[in-house]
Amino acid sequence: MWKDYSSDYMKNNPSSSISIMMAAFLSALLLSLLCGLFYNAWKYDIERIELEEGGWQSRLVGEFDQEDIEVIKNFASIKEAVVNEEESADGEIVIDLYFDDMRTVFQDTLQIAGLTGVSPESIVYNYELLAMYLIRDSQDTSPRLSFPFFILVTVMASFSLIVIIHNAFAVSMNARIHQFGIFSSIGATPKQIRVCLLQEAALLCALPVMAGNLFGIGASWGLLEMANRLGSSAAGRHEAVFGYHPLVFLFTLLVTVVTIWISAWLPARKLSRLTPLEAIKNPGELQLKRKRNSPILTFLWGVEGQLAGNALKAQKKARRMASFSLILSFMAFTLMQCFFTLSGISTRETYFEKYQDAWDIMVTVKDTEVDSFQETEKIQALEGAESVVVYQKAAAKRRIAEEEMSEELKAGGGFLPASANDVIQTDGGWVVNAPIVILDDESFLAYCRQIGAAPRLDGAVILNRIRDVTNPDFRHPRYMPYIKENAVSVLQRSHKEEITVPISVLAYTAQVPVLREEYATLDYYELVHFMPVSLWTELKEQLGAATEDTYIRILAGENVTLEELNTLQEKINQLIGGKYDIESENRIQEYQTNEKQIHGMMTILGGFCVILAIIGISNVFSNTLGFIRQRRREFARYMSVGMTTAEIRKMFCIEGVMTAVRPILFTLPLTALAVWYMLRMSYLEAGVFLAEAPFIPVAVFMLAILGTVTLAYYLGWRNLRKINLAEVLRDDTMY
Amino acid sequence: MNLLTCEGVRKVYGSGRNQVVALDGIDLTVGKGEFVAIIGASGSGKSTLLHILGSVDKPTEGKVIIEGTDLSKLNPTQAAIFRRRKVGLVYQFYNLIPTLTARKNILMPLLLDKKKPNKEYFEKIVGSLGISDRLDALPGQLSGGEQQRVAIARSLIYRPALLLADEPTGNLDQKNSKEIMDMLKLSNRNLEQTILLITHDERAALEADRIITIEDGHIISDELRR
Repeated sequence: MWKDYSSDYMKNNPSSSISIMMAAFLSALLLSLLCGLFYNAWKYDIERIELEEGGWQSRLVGEFDQEDIEVIKNFASIKEAVVNEEESADGEIVIDLYFDDMRTVFQDTLQIAGLTGVSPESIVYNYELLAMYLIRDSQDTSPRLSFPFFILVTVMASFSLIVIIHNAFAVSMNARIHQFGIFSSIGATPKQIRVCLLQEAALLCALPVMAGNLFGIGASWGLLEMANRLGSSAAGRHEAVFGYHPLVFLFTLLVTVVTIWISAWLPARKLSRLTPLEAIKNPGELQLKRKRNSPILTFLWGVEGQLAGNALKAQKKARRMASFSLILSFMAFTLMQCFFTLSGISTRETYFEKYQDAWDIMVTVKDTEVDSFQETEKIQALEGAESVVVYQKAAAKRRIAEEEMSEELKAGGGFLPASANDVIQTDGGWVVNAPIVILDDESFLAYCRQIGAAPRLDGAVILNRIRDVTNPDFRHPRYMPYIKENAVSVLQRSHKEEITVPISVLAYTAQVPVLREEYATLDYYELVHFMPVSLWTELKEQLGAATEDTYIRILAGENVTLEELNTLQEKINQLIGGKYDIESENRIQEYQTNEKQIHGMMTILGGFCVILAIIGISNVFSNTLGFIRQRRREFARYMSVGMTTAEIRKMFCIEGVMTAVRPILFTLPLTALAVWYMLRMSYLEAGVFLAEAPFIPVAVFMLAILGTVTLAYYLGWRNLRKINLAEVLRDDTMY
Repeated sequence: MNLLTCEGVRKVYGSGRNQVVALDGIDLTVGKGEFVAIIGASGSGKSTLLHILGSVDKPTEGKVIIEGTDLSKLNPTQAAIFRRRKVGLVYQFYNLIPTLTARKNILMPLLLDKKKPNKEYFEKIVGSLGISDRLDALPGQLSGGEQQRVAIARSLIYRPALLLADEPTGNLDQKNSKEIMDMLKLSNRNLEQTILLITHDERAALEADRIITIEDGHIISDELRR
């Protein structure tokens, strides 16, 4: 019976069925995309951890003989126990353990440690890897938020979809309140009505859900491929291989079904709870609960405007989701476009333009100290390498006495505004961070010549400038002299301040060497020292360890092309790649990758905006096409009191215009406000933004909304316009 | 033996200044096989009474007992099952499902109970109502008189204890009205069907065995004619 009834209704009302199917398809697509992406992100993270740390689950460190190793290997739950030669040193052996069942790792490793006489403190767990399988230990205090984040995002996505798509079901169900009233009056129970509506929803949604899930899998594969392409040049990143597990499919299906079921159940429950009397008396027409005025529409279009305004208000509930989705999609799209434009301008101004001439190729030589790097001259001799600087960074401290402070610094409040993390006040003055940049000798001598100092290798150059903290404009900072010039600078070893090292100062300068480095950006009170590697070799025992890696900055001349940089990069790889563990980047490639990443992000976010817009537009279609019967009766009444078809068409057009224009009216002022705020925060000039403002994409998106809403109203009008007044007013077959 | 008993039935709509008392202390009994007409002016409360008797609505106060079941104590599901099995409802505007054929409209109460129709009884009803050849038509393809016959057939298909008819001839021409009234009389006589007819058409009321008049929610006369 219900099958006959539902199939008949679906056949006769394809528009509301299409709207439901579209909502189900889009929900399944989004949720499948979300789950597919999360699964692949999870898989990628595991691969990354295994590549970086290894796939072991726990590790024993101690002195083991062959017998101990046999005991470990023969332990019941051990899948594999491998002696890690790389990590073993100084008589201590490191054994990597792999278990058959990872969940027993904490209990069994302790037991194995007991059997082999190793203290529990010598056990190392691969917490990061274990957390990926939801195996946690109270000792691991890191938050490990991947799964909670995924669950939160999934719940939020499901909730948002329920809010958005339940209206599609409500429109179809509410159009039949009277019919369900009849069913109820002849004995259909609320449960029977609810089951009928839910069966109908299941029938309509089965195929779209399957199709949406498959498309979602395809889309997650596409996004992963895109991420691979965009990140191919990123240093240290391994390629992600798309994967999919049947359990992910089942989980996605479950989440989709629950989401759609709740969306259908909400209006079905409401409808089934109506008493037969309420349902039978319901004429199915949209009514106003109280008198409403539409002064602007009345002023603009007269009585048709007023009627259109009233009709829009009567449909307010049904149109809510359409309005919400359209406003949200247009607003998100416009804000996203503005944000990326601003961010692009800002990145270009603060990064690419600032460092345009500071580097062409950067090489990071891993785990190598600058004084032990032997290939400097060979790189400098490479064809195409105009300038090569090999450098390393180290940390030290410097005490600044009050009398050393520059007059400008004193006038600005001295160290008063500094945080205790950056500056420590002591009896003899203030201890500040004094980063050391160690340059290869030749580059240091060139730097001395650049700043007009005597080119010598027995001293340091101090960057004697400090930012005026009273000016928050980071784009146009003001600097002032930091300290008074003195022939010697006494550096202190970091964390062992009692070890002091006096260094002769060759020069105080406000100029920095041409490096891709920023100084005193986070801690404004840093006093940067530049020194040659030959001096560092003498002082490093006292001043302590430098950073692990050494850097090579290469300039390849003006108007260099990407191909030339690639060739030079390749030559460097060939020259030192075999001997050292290196990572290299080139400026043009990085610029292009950055552009691609922004475009990729914009495509993904734009895609979500388009999906939102489609949901909104499908709601507009379901409203304009789903309420035909009610609207025909409403229009017949207008005609019965003398309204012409042209006047009704005008009224319908006003409704269409208001539906389409509302997202624009809401969005534009808010966008202007948001852009004004972003401009203020980023210290960019409005003219710079306006010259590059995303007028065209926003206009295209706006026109697309206007066009589709117009189409929806045109199709609605085509169905409505042939009103046989006598027939509609007499038509009681439904009542 | 009484089929239906109403004791002190009161129905109030709204609250405060908008309060409307539709029925006020209705006491009524109807015996099995009786054909009762309830008449009254528009707004007198007769349709409210019919809705309460049909368990479509609930009284604010008082008791309604049909075949031993107190309708005021039924939950929505029990009320629906009661309507399906014990009450046949016929409305002025037929209330047929427009997307189902006449046959399926008639069989709906049985199908809701997942029961197979008694073929003989079904044919007897549709035959006596003269709609045997219109069973595959949709309501929109039937005349007003035919639609009302389908509605009566639907109300009788479960052999209900009580048939409630709310202005069944109100939307029909004279010829069709007479035929419908004849059919109701026939089912009363031949099937011993208890009928409660609500009408303001005095000629239709005169066909009943008993005429009850309602005014402002009160029964002002109860006249036994046969």
